[in-house]
Amino acid sequence: MLFDFVVLGATGEEGNITSKDLLESGYSVLLCGRNKSRIKTLLKYKKAKFAYVDLNNIEKTAGILKKSGAKIAVNCAELRMNINAMKACLISGLHYLDLGGLQEMTIQQYKFDKDFKKRKLTALLGCGSTPGISNVMAAYAVNKMDSVEHIEVGFAWDSNIKKFILPYSIESIVHELTTDPIVLDNGKFKKTKACTFEGALKFREIKKQNTYCIVHSEVFTFKRYFGKKGLKFVHYKAGFPEHSFKVLDAIIKLGFGSKEPININGINLRPIDFTREVLKKIDRPKGYKETEDIWIKVYGKYGGRPKKIEMDCLVKTLKGWEDVGSNINTGMSISIMAQMLNKNLIKKEGITAPEEAVPCKSFFEELAKRKMYIYENNKRIN
Amino acid sequence: MKIKTNSKKDKNKIIGILGLGSMGKIIAKDLAETFNGKAIYLARDVNSVKNLAKKNDAEIRYADVSKPKTLVKAFKNIDVVIHAVHHEFNLDVMKACLKSKTNYIDLGGLYHYTKKQLKLNNQFKKNNLTAVLGIGASPGITNVLAKYASGFLDKVENIEIKIGYKDFSTYKQLSPLSASYSIQTIFEEFSWKPAVFENGKIKFVEPISGREEYKFPKPVGMQKPQYTIHSEIATLPYTLKAKNVSFKIAFDDDFVDKIKMLKEIGFISDEEIKIGKNKFNTKDVSLEILKKLPKTIPKRINEYEIIRAVVSSKHKKIIMDAKILGINETIDKDTGIPPSIIAQMIADGKIADKGVFPPESIIPEEDFFKELSKRKIYIYKNDKKIN
Repeated sequence: MLFDFVVLGATGEEGNITSKDLLESGYSVLLCGRNKSRIKTLLKYKKAKFAYVDLNNIEKTAGILKKSGAKIAVNCAELRMNINAMKACLISGLHYLDLGGLQEMTIQQYKFDKDFKKRKLTALLGCGSTPGISNVMAAYAVNKMDSVEHIEVGFAWDSNIKKFILPYSIESIVHELTTDPIVLDNGKFKKTKACTFEGALKFREIKKQNTYCIVHSEVFTFKRYFGKKGLKFVHYKAGFPEHSFKVLDAIIKLGFGSKEPININGINLRPIDFTREVLKKIDRPKGYKETEDIWIKVYGKYGGRPKKIEMDCLVKTLKGWEDVGSNINTGMSISIMAQMLNKNLIKKEGITAPEEAVPCKSFFEELAKRKMYIYENNKRIN
Repeated sequence: MKIKTNSKKDKNKIIGILGLGSMGKIIAKDLAETFNGKAIYLARDVNSVKNLAKKNDAEIRYADVSKPKTLVKAFKNIDVVIHAVHHEFNLDVMKACLKSKTNYIDLGGLYHYTKKQLKLNNQFKKNNLTAVLGIGASPGITNVLAKYASGFLDKVENIEIKIGYKDFSTYKQLSPLSASYSIQTIFEEFSWKPAVFENGKIKFVEPISGREEYKFPKPVGMQKPQYTIHSEIATLPYTLKAKNVSFKIAFDDDFVDKIKMLKEIGFISDEEIKIGKNKFNTKDVSLEILKKLPKTIPKRINEYEIIRAVVSSKHKKIIMDAKILGINETIDKDTGIPPSIIAQMIADGKIADKGVFPPESIIPEEDFFKELSKRKIYIYKNDKKIN
């Protein structure tokens, strides 16, 4: 069987969402991962098949990609695997998409630009909710201005039942909350302290929430693509509901997010790997619903006058997707972008990002089909 | 502290300490300062206690609680073994004592273990041996306080035990999860349903429940003690024939929040968890992770603890307090000192009854209080110091 897409890390939560969206859209998908038992439901689709893939083995991964017959690999694995997945795509000749590499990894990934260009391949980085939707919204707003000075970007979410549910990959969360982020400050990249309090902000359909400056790839790519329009300041602000942040903060402070292996009965175990498995066991309670706002505020000038555009992408728990809450915005967004690449709507070769390569309107239309609505200065536009 | 002992060293009197963890070390210190016999340290990692043994002129023997045969051999010729390893090994150590003909003391059995241990009474009696269960601060001092108070009442109706603590110390470094005793025990106390004896019947309530404000004498002041599984409830209702017996201990809000959080998201579970190809016990991995946390390093220790037993009949109420001030030494001494005192009483023949006993059934209260006083642990009856 030949496939339209390969999903790497299909057995994780985001990979699961992405794969389901692709399969629901009628495509055939090779689901790659290490734990087949986690995707029993997906394997009920006729056009789905499982392949055991360990991204640590680049050559073997490349072999599986090539054999799949697919043109596009969608990487939903942990970000530390991004370079390996890209290398496998270069060997096998597949286009590449991923969910982002925060800052360090993203910078490393851009070094492969020439390699992808040489092979006439696209590598679209950061295609989830944020980075992803946030970048396309930024491009939409920036395009409406003559010059841009300042961008604030981030996310905020909450749930109707205040029970701790892991919002997204614990590995990413720990990285985001513990790594000193780089902000764009007066045109220069500047290191700041991890998780600095950025004030309590009000969000669309979400109560006032504390926000924290965290490491994110938008700071880096916005400067790259909007720098020519005069962009001088970019700040990333993450908003967690108090009941969730308290737990995440304690997990980190109590050592459960550590990557330093400890010896348990002669076996080396990274606490973060243990924590991931423990947190996976927490079920969403009946009736549990989430609301998430991916937001961006762009400050610039148009026709010589100051202009501010606020964009929001509002996502709520969807019927039929209750078990993943608002995380649909990450998995579905990368699925949409992969489908756009497949339809040749994304043409840019080499390493690129959504703000450069993804046509805004058609992307927003696809989001609306999945009940993810975009607001421009409080007015729905999709 | 150096307490003068009148008698010369008698090397024929031998007390063994099984487990030289934080409690074992306090016991070792007290024995070194007050015991006129010989101490033997029974350890799995012999090297780790060499310096301490040298300093305290103690002998070392290899003993591993998970290998009962090593215990029987190690206990040879020892008069009393103080078991200071975790309570899950209490029964195994007691059985080893029966084989080696050694008297036994432990620091408590979190209700359930104590119940099982009491069933060895006939065997200890038959072997002419004494076992005293749960003789630390609590259980331990608590039981003796309740027994002492009961002597002033015609009939005991209610016994309420409450532990309050206040820390005035300054620190060079503070651990993100500072506990005054074993985190493993705390995990169990926060997960196992606490026993409460109510209207003559045992009932089990929700862990971390009953957390209400309670005013202890100064300087401890207002605290929020909560029901906790404890072995006092396994014995006091029957030995003192009380109608209602409860046990509550206070932890600070931040500590309770953290342990509650770990419990709620599954880190304290006893379930097996598969990671890659390997299987682990969830709680065991969590404990190992917590062991790696930076340790608390005090600048100046200044702690205060009040162990309270409120014992009442229909018409009379006796409030007994043990007050422990820890200046430049932690108040954990209130758990490490009592087993040293009782082991010495057994070794000296002051406690001679045979069988398995809770503290209230065998310890001469006033002698015990006198010994506590020598170590600056003071007992108050209705706010009046009595030792």
